[in-house]
Amino acid sequence: MKEFQPSSSRSAPVKSVGLIAWLRENLFSSIPNAVVTIAFISTLAYYIPLLIDWAFLSANFKGETEAACVNDGACWVFVNAWSYQFFYGTYPPEEVWRINLTIVLLILVIIGSFALPKSIRLKTSIAAWLLLPIVGIALLDGRLLGLEMVSTDLWGGFTLNVFMATASIVVAFPFSFLWALGRRSDMPFIRSVSVIFIEFFRGVPVLSLFFMGSVMLPLFFAEGTNVDKLIRVWLVLIFFMSGYMAEVFRGGFQAVPKGQYEAADSIGLGYWQKIMLIILPQVIKISMPNILATFVMLFKNTTFLLIIGIPEVVQTLQTALSNSYWLGGHALEGYLFVFLVFWGSCFGMSLLASRIERTMNTDKRD
Amino acid sequence: MTAISSNSHSEDVIVIENLNKWYGNFHVLRDINLRVKKGERIVICGPSGSGKSTMIRCINRLEEFQEGSLVVDGVEMIEDVKNIETIRKDVGMVFQHFNLFPHLTILENLTLGPIWVQKKPKAEAEAIAMKYLERVKIPDQANKYPGQLSGGQQQRVAIARSLCMNPNIMLFDEPTSALDPEMIKEVLDVMIELAQDGMTMLCVTHEMGFAKKVADRVIFMDGGEIVEENEPEAFFSNPQVDRTQQFLEQILNH
Repeated sequence: MKEFQPSSSRSAPVKSVGLIAWLRENLFSSIPNAVVTIAFISTLAYYIPLLIDWAFLSANFKGETEAACVNDGACWVFVNAWSYQFFYGTYPPEEVWRINLTIVLLILVIIGSFALPKSIRLKTSIAAWLLLPIVGIALLDGRLLGLEMVSTDLWGGFTLNVFMATASIVVAFPFSFLWALGRRSDMPFIRSVSVIFIEFFRGVPVLSLFFMGSVMLPLFFAEGTNVDKLIRVWLVLIFFMSGYMAEVFRGGFQAVPKGQYEAADSIGLGYWQKIMLIILPQVIKISMPNILATFVMLFKNTTFLLIIGIPEVVQTLQTALSNSYWLGGHALEGYLFVFLVFWGSCFGMSLLASRIERTMNTDKRD
Repeated sequence: MTAISSNSHSEDVIVIENLNKWYGNFHVLRDINLRVKKGERIVICGPSGSGKSTMIRCINRLEEFQEGSLVVDGVEMIEDVKNIETIRKDVGMVFQHFNLFPHLTILENLTLGPIWVQKKPKAEAEAIAMKYLERVKIPDQANKYPGQLSGGQQQRVAIARSLCMNPNIMLFDEPTSALDPEMIKEVLDVMIELAQDGMTMLCVTHEMGFAKKVADRVIFMDGGEIVEENEPEAFFSNPQVDRTQQFLEQILNH
């Protein structure tokens, strides 16, 4: 009998394309294409130097007051002078270490969620995430830890956006999971309550929810009780977020094959064991891109808080723009700064999420 | 080979009487009667849609039924059987599509039941898992994820996962139907070994070679009914019902 020898593999043919060939193929393939390309390039060639000149070459970097802005370009002095307020609001400067410490704790928890050894990672990071809002509030407020109290009226700036978004998602996460489970329940009562809740908070604009939280909600509290405005807004964000995330999770649940439930049943796991050990980890993995998208949406929506007068970063910027010492029209610099800060954090989160997806992806062969 | 629970004295481990099941108005199982003795190996075959999978899935109550009675290990399976998890611990099941848990390693797949259901310490559960992984001949794969294994290996892991729960009865629902032809043998070898050790087995399969080799009885189902049951020798050489004969001709002479 002939012996079968597998033939050795060859490498795939290299498709060599030079720069000129690439240009001809993609940018100048027809006359209309060539016209559009040239028009586009000349527009860029005209505006980019102007932008660079405005932002860097003739910009003002040094100085303390508006008087220092003598050049034609951007007045970065404005951003620099107000940077404390943009980040920390009116939080007392001698207590600002508390905000910094909270941020450091947040970063540590994020890092710990991957870097800890696998044996303790899951339990430790879940506990850390749930403790984080409590520790954060205790630190920022100060009373629980015997520090000087800093009233929530003084909290503000970009860090407030970060804290509101993070504290909301951490609390909303378990709730939204329960709502999603409820929506799949066989019990009509639980199912209808879940559907009504989810559809209400998905169907109402977040702005009107904020107004409801700041104006209507106090009407329901007993007379004389005054629930802090930030707490009311926090509740609104939690409800809003859990409505959205419940739908994200529902999609995840539907994507887990029925066989997984059956296999869990067949080895005798109880309902909650099955959900927590088998289904939830797969649901989270499947839903990870959408969870992040929802979080980014919520994070950006925290700028709407300016509507009800909470001094988050955009509100602070508007205060700064109307300050009588800075009336020279620095809106462009200010909004560009806010734009860059938000874009930077959201892009960072995207990178983080793709990293999480890679660590969780055990389906593919190595 | 397995530790038998309180009712080891009773001969019949599964007693099905006049079982009827409907999906909506569709009558899937019609007056099923079946008794399985301890240690018996039964092969169930039949065309698709004949109700064979549905029948064995009733045994560990992955499916509910509307009429008749089903007693497993002396426990009557009724509408609201409280200790359904206890029954499921005693009845292992292997699925056509393996249904391993993709987010857990092979070892974690195997120890999940012993640790969470039987409350065994982790070290003991891992020792049991390694014992069964050796038995299905893939101890070296313990720390890989299911996605990194071939179909045949995954199915052997699935068998080991069931065995870790120390079941009295094993149900196989077309265990080789989703496998590449070259991988069927390695799974069947494990099943044959299991049969020789005296495990009570119900296999839905069309591997007639396997049926001839290990089955005590072969059951042929069609249209939700048991059409014919017999010892393998007689079943294959001398089928009594024309439908059985027709079916055997179709699957044996192609």
